[in-house]
Amino acid sequence: MDLYEYEAKKIFSEGGITVPPSVRITKPEELSKVNFGYPVTLKVQVLAGGRGKAGGIKFANNLKEGQELAQNLLKMVVKGSKTESLLVEPKLIIKKELYLAVTLDRERGCPIFIASAEGGIEIESSDKVVTMPIPYPYHPFVGRELARQLGFTGSLLVKVADVATKLYKIFEEKDLDLAEINPLMITEGDEVLALDGKISVNDDSIGRQRYFDGWQIRHLADLPERERRAKLQGLNLVELDGNIGILCNGAGLTMATMDMVKKFGGRPGNFLDVGGGSDQEKTLEALEIVNDNPECDVMLLNILGGITACDEVAQALVQFIKKYPERILVVRLRGNNQDLAEKILAESGLKLIPDLEAAVKEAVEKSKSVSKKPVGAKA
Amino acid sequence: MILIDKNTKVMVQGATGKMGSSHTKRMIAYGTKIVAGVTPGKGGTQVHGLPVYDSVKETVEQTGATCSVIFVPPYLALDAGLEALEAGVELIVLITEGIPPQDTAKLVAQVKQRGARLVGPNCPGVITPGQCLVGILPGQIFSPGKVGMISRSGTLTYEIALALTDAGLGQSTCVGVGGDPIKGIGYQELLEMFNDDKDTEVIVLIGEIGGTAEETAAEYIKRNVKKPVVGFIAGVTAPPGKRMGHAGAIISGGKGTADSKIAAFKENGMHVAMTPSEVAVMVAEARKQLAKA
Repeated sequence: MDLYEYEAKKIFSEGGITVPPSVRITKPEELSKVNFGYPVTLKVQVLAGGRGKAGGIKFANNLKEGQELAQNLLKMVVKGSKTESLLVEPKLIIKKELYLAVTLDRERGCPIFIASAEGGIEIESSDKVVTMPIPYPYHPFVGRELARQLGFTGSLLVKVADVATKLYKIFEEKDLDLAEINPLMITEGDEVLALDGKISVNDDSIGRQRYFDGWQIRHLADLPERERRAKLQGLNLVELDGNIGILCNGAGLTMATMDMVKKFGGRPGNFLDVGGGSDQEKTLEALEIVNDNPECDVMLLNILGGITACDEVAQALVQFIKKYPERILVVRLRGNNQDLAEKILAESGLKLIPDLEAAVKEAVEKSKSVSKKPVGAKA
Repeated sequence: MILIDKNTKVMVQGATGKMGSSHTKRMIAYGTKIVAGVTPGKGGTQVHGLPVYDSVKETVEQTGATCSVIFVPPYLALDAGLEALEAGVELIVLITEGIPPQDTAKLVAQVKQRGARLVGPNCPGVITPGQCLVGILPGQIFSPGKVGMISRSGTLTYEIALALTDAGLGQSTCVGVGGDPIKGIGYQELLEMFNDDKDTEVIVLIGEIGGTAEETAAEYIKRNVKKPVVGFIAGVTAPPGKRMGHAGAIISGGKGTADSKIAAFKENGMHVAMTPSEVAVMVAEARKQLAKA
């Protein structure tokens, strides 16, 4: 779950990291609440990155100018992400900017600091990046070593190290995937503060983080409707632009099935993993979600029943076909209780193809003949 | 064979839960030497005719188990894993999906420190066909033979095992390393073991998008592995920035694409299959070449 900037800053601040004073507004009139004087910075609160380049950050010299800007900024959409609110802060004079983040490194298998003495940039494009594995349990010397490697000395070394330590503590306590300050700014008076930040909460950990109770729904706002629906059902759906709807059990097999559709000349319309040991109800919901995609001409169901019982999947299919008799469906089922499934499907007129390649080829074939029909011919 | 054989004594942590119980039954039916279940507070009871103990330490003392398969809920998995390590368990197979990755990182660090082995998390487990099944793999799909398998996936592994078995190509051991970004045993350690294993002639490596482990493995294979390796990568059609079911299956910042992995496989002399059934064809071909040599 990605958080908005204002949420990240609230968490930084609660963790002892200094952030600029700010006011969050959802209407231009609310700008009168600003009590830190002008000029101010107005920043759109969106979940997508790249808002600066998209024109989502503006400066205002007075209330009138600010309100005019706010009017437009509040309506802004950045890469499909709607503006939730505006964060208004004093325009600050920057002496130096840094990049500082904590994340998990999958190759090393542990948390790491990523930092750069150049801030406010795309970290991937900086050549002055310092990365440092973080041993567990954490000790503050790690933060000091990081600050030293960034080139700091004296009181700034201590201050930057302190921010790094606090950022790690937040990362660990809140079960984050990413805690990023970019830029971490140093003022003329050698104050160190988080000017912008990004927090990504680990999805598997939200259940034990009471702090984020109830946050998830409003942070799914940017997901396309069907992906959102799937997520709320505990299903993993990713939509593509093809016309063959795909449902499988298991993430690897689902990807492999998509790849085969493409290899044999078809266009995969989605990734949908119905999961291992899915019951009838969940399978049916998965079928409904794919069916609702208007781009979908053919549905390909591929279940390899190791643990999953094929007959239960077949029951869900029978229900589905009763509801949508015109839907073109190619079914590959193999494994546990395959015979039972075959019998159940035969009664409803559905053919079962046990061979995966044969099933994929059939789905591709059918998707092509459907696509050739003129618009409107489709049921 | 590697990791497990017919003599491996296995305990089940979480054997009295719904999933743990049903898979304990399956593992026993397959012939795995399951010696006990562990559920705190249920010591003294039984599960499928086996004793249940309150702690791993007690189980090790009473049974001499060296391997533990863990089915506990995600937020209890770190504790369960650390308990197994502390009791001296040598091989931990962690099936649980949805463990906070920071917990996994903490467990992995301890596993390394103690020189133990962790398979998983979020994995189907390990099978040495005909001898021992530890985890949730469907035993009937596998058959004993000379192919060693390493995979990040569950059902895709079964699909490929099925193709191999259908083609009369049995397996020495099959290891599902799991779909999480942070995990225990990885490609390199397993490649090394299969390379040294006299029962393994050909190795199959099943990877997917996300991370750079396949690229690293390909370089390792070129330098160190003497046996033929057939590779398969899932996710050629996966869009960047989207998590494809597995927590670790995501292309981010341009890294982790299927194309990069396939290219690395090819550059390092591996055979690359484009469909599951092609894996079996390539394995058969590799064995033919070996027979000629």
